[in-house]
Amino acid sequence: MVPIIELKNVSKFFGHGKERVTAVDSISLAVEPGEIVCLVGESGCGKSTTGRMAAGLLPVSAGQVLFDGKDIAQMNRDELQTYRRAVQIVHQDPYASLNPTQTIRDIITAPLLHHKKVKDRTHAEKRARELLEIVDLTPVHDFMDKYPHQLSGGQRQRVSVARALTVEPKFIVADEAVSMVDVSIRVSLLNMLSRLKNEFDVTFLFITHDLALAKYFAWQGRIVVMYLGRMVEEGPTPRLITDARHPYTQALLAAVPEADPELAQHKRQIELRGAEIPSLLHLPLGCTFHPRCPYIVEGQCDVHVPRLEAIREGGSVACPVRKDESIQLVV
Amino acid sequence: MSKSNLEWQQDSTQNQKPPLSLQNVYVNYGTRKGNVQAVRGVTLDLYAGESLALIGESGSGKTTLGLSIVRLLASTAKVEPGTIIYRRDQREVDVLKLSTSELRQFRWRDCAMVFQSALNAFNPVLRVWDQVLDTAQAHGWSDRTAVRERFLDLLKFVQLDPTRVINAYPHELSGGMRQRTLLAISLLLEPQILILDEPTTALDILTQRTIIGLLRRLKEEQHFTMIFISHDLAIAAELADRVATMYAGRIVEIGKTYDLFYQPRHPYTLGLIRAVPTVLGGFEELFSIPGSPPDLVNLPSGCKFHPRCSFATDKCKQQEPELEEVGERHFTACWHWQDVEKELELHPIRRGAAKHDALAQTTVEVR
Ligand SMILES: Nc1ncnc2c1ncn2[C@@H]1O[C@H](COP(=O)(O)OP(=O)(O)OP(=O)(O)O)[C@@H](O)[C@H]1O
Ligand SMILES: Nc1ncnc2c1ncn2[C@@H]1O[C@H](COP(=O)(O)OP(=O)(O)OP(=O)(O)O)[C@@H](O)[C@H]1O
Ligand code: SF4
Ligand SMILES: [Mg+2]
Ligand SMILES: [Mg+2]
Repeated sequence: MVPIIELKNVSKFFGHGKERVTAVDSISLAVEPGEIVCLVGESGCGKSTTGRMAAGLLPVSAGQVLFDGKDIAQMNRDELQTYRRAVQIVHQDPYASLNPTQTIRDIITAPLLHHKKVKDRTHAEKRARELLEIVDLTPVHDFMDKYPHQLSGGQRQRVSVARALTVEPKFIVADEAVSMVDVSIRVSLLNMLSRLKNEFDVTFLFITHDLALAKYFAWQGRIVVMYLGRMVEEGPTPRLITDARHPYTQALLAAVPEADPELAQHKRQIELRGAEIPSLLHLPLGCTFHPRCPYIVEGQCDVHVPRLEAIREGGSVACPVRKDESIQLVV
Repeated sequence: MSKSNLEWQQDSTQNQKPPLSLQNVYVNYGTRKGNVQAVRGVTLDLYAGESLALIGESGSGKTTLGLSIVRLLASTAKVEPGTIIYRRDQREVDVLKLSTSELRQFRWRDCAMVFQSALNAFNPVLRVWDQVLDTAQAHGWSDRTAVRERFLDLLKFVQLDPTRVINAYPHELSGGMRQRTLLAISLLLEPQILILDEPTTALDILTQRTIIGLLRRLKEEQHFTMIFISHDLAIAAELADRVATMYAGRIVEIGKTYDLFYQPRHPYTLGLIRAVPTVLGGFEELFSIPGSPPDLVNLPSGCKFHPRCSFATDKCKQQEPELEEVGERHFTACWHWQDVEKELELHPIRRGAAKHDALAQTTVEVR
């Protein structure tokens, strides 16, 4: 199958001269149609930058972005327009991205009319109702005439999903899309997104710093772990969660606070050698995790940049030292 | 710091009185839209050496309750009625009746609160050391060398580089470093009670773990009396001896941590637990709670949870339930807690650790 989105050795630099940082460092990632891929990692590791490059909202500094097998840098205007519509982003804070002076009706019908997805206002109205229904904003007539500030955070997020759906996207980058929503309604948002995947063939790049959410949403898919702009491990979610190999992935999994006292008691504690995350301005040589890694092999890890290598159990790991070693995280 | 705290511990076990007792506390905020009923009749005893987690969603009144204990509520807030009794060394005071100067003493020496947003708690133009000195001097501790020594020790305790932090401006520190610095400052005057509002929210995972580790040490080695306020159930599971669930300004359930997580009796607590995934511990189906949190200006009738509750009956719409004893030191405010119990017999809550082992084995077999 041709990947719907493929990143080939994509990098992003910000700033110039001494201030130049590599926010994303040579990432390669192919997302198959219908797949769910989840990007996880700590703040500043380059998740949003990667997502924005995949969506064509940010130019790459090096490498290529392919849509349906075609390099977007080589596309003509029509192709670019198709790509731009096919790929949508849903952000963390829907409040910032919804026009406060428009009613929900306007927010949804405007892009329908603008992109000529419907013949006229009557059809736009009808389609808007359908879309609100799809994102579970029901009864629809209660919402059509409301303004964004009259809705709860979760409801606003549904509106921004409905708006993204107006252009019939094939690929949605959901960047921390449920992170700000209360826990009691988070799950229903996630389930709604899953339904879009199944019923409308939308492929997801789901970005989150919350590993538990990643696990739940991408259980049938893949998780990609980033650290300081690089991919350090990737693999089918069940493997990555139960049998992580990269010392950084293991450290993250061990560190996540668990909403279950029994589990919290029985989690293994992994001591890192250094607490602070290095600055992008002064990246360590070799494996950028080496100053914190408990398994460092001197002369190797602090010299050579590890490459992602496939492992038999599924996915790949950028750590030649530990890639074949399982550890128990629940003891 | 441990000495005075331990002495206090012994005192309190001898006379058994909890250091903090809240009686029927109400807090209202006057706003243009009307009266926001942020806290509605909270009664709570906090025992010496225990850590209590206050959980609940955004707007449920957790921070307001914390602020009312240290009397730092906004001027638009009114605490009425209610009493907050604080006890130390045979002394007993009503916090709501303290004078301004008494309050200043109370806030750091007796009960310190570490705020939700660590950045706002600092004065941006003062170096950390100057703020520490100010705080110490305001409490009549003028021996600079002694203050400095103690603070350096505390910085080591929170695993920060003392010389670097002490001369830094707040903005030069990362979020996790600020949170830890604030924790160190709050321990400076050896308070008897520590209230921590969202101590790990918005921090990176590895930093969260460091903070949890520190708080565990405070709890296990120094037997601090603490209240953790968080919307994150994981903080309760990781740190608390007892957990209280808040909904619409009320404590709707309170009990020992294991009881609350595995034998909850309130539909809202159960709903929260079933809505939150764990990372390790197998794949679990999750369920959301229908509807959205209530409008605190126009609260629903009866049980405030009834519009979202799958156990609700007509009685729930009419009468608000009070906390009722449902087990050992376990209280729930729900007319139908027995139905919740039955529901849990049919569909028990996961035991995380056991599930994880089973899952790990199945993946091995699949290979
Ligand atoms: N426009 C920009 N100019 C300069 N630096 C930038 C810009 N956008 C991002 N960065 C830097 O690039 C790095 C990666 O940022 P990015 O937003 O992709 O991280 P993230 O993983 O999404 O983090 P978070 O979890 O905090 O959202 C950070 O160090 C950030 O400061
Ligand atoms: N200064 C204020 N003036 C008016 N209303 C306020 C004020 N502070 C808080 N509130 C309201 O009181 C209610 C309780 O707020 P509080 O901050 O105590 O909740 P919380 O449980 O701590 O929520 P969160 O998880 O978002 O921190 C909310 O509805 C809030 O909007
Ligand atoms: S009292 Fe009724 S509405 Fe309230 S939680 Fe219990 S069953 Fe639900
Ligand atoms: Mg981001
Ligand atoms: Mg709060």
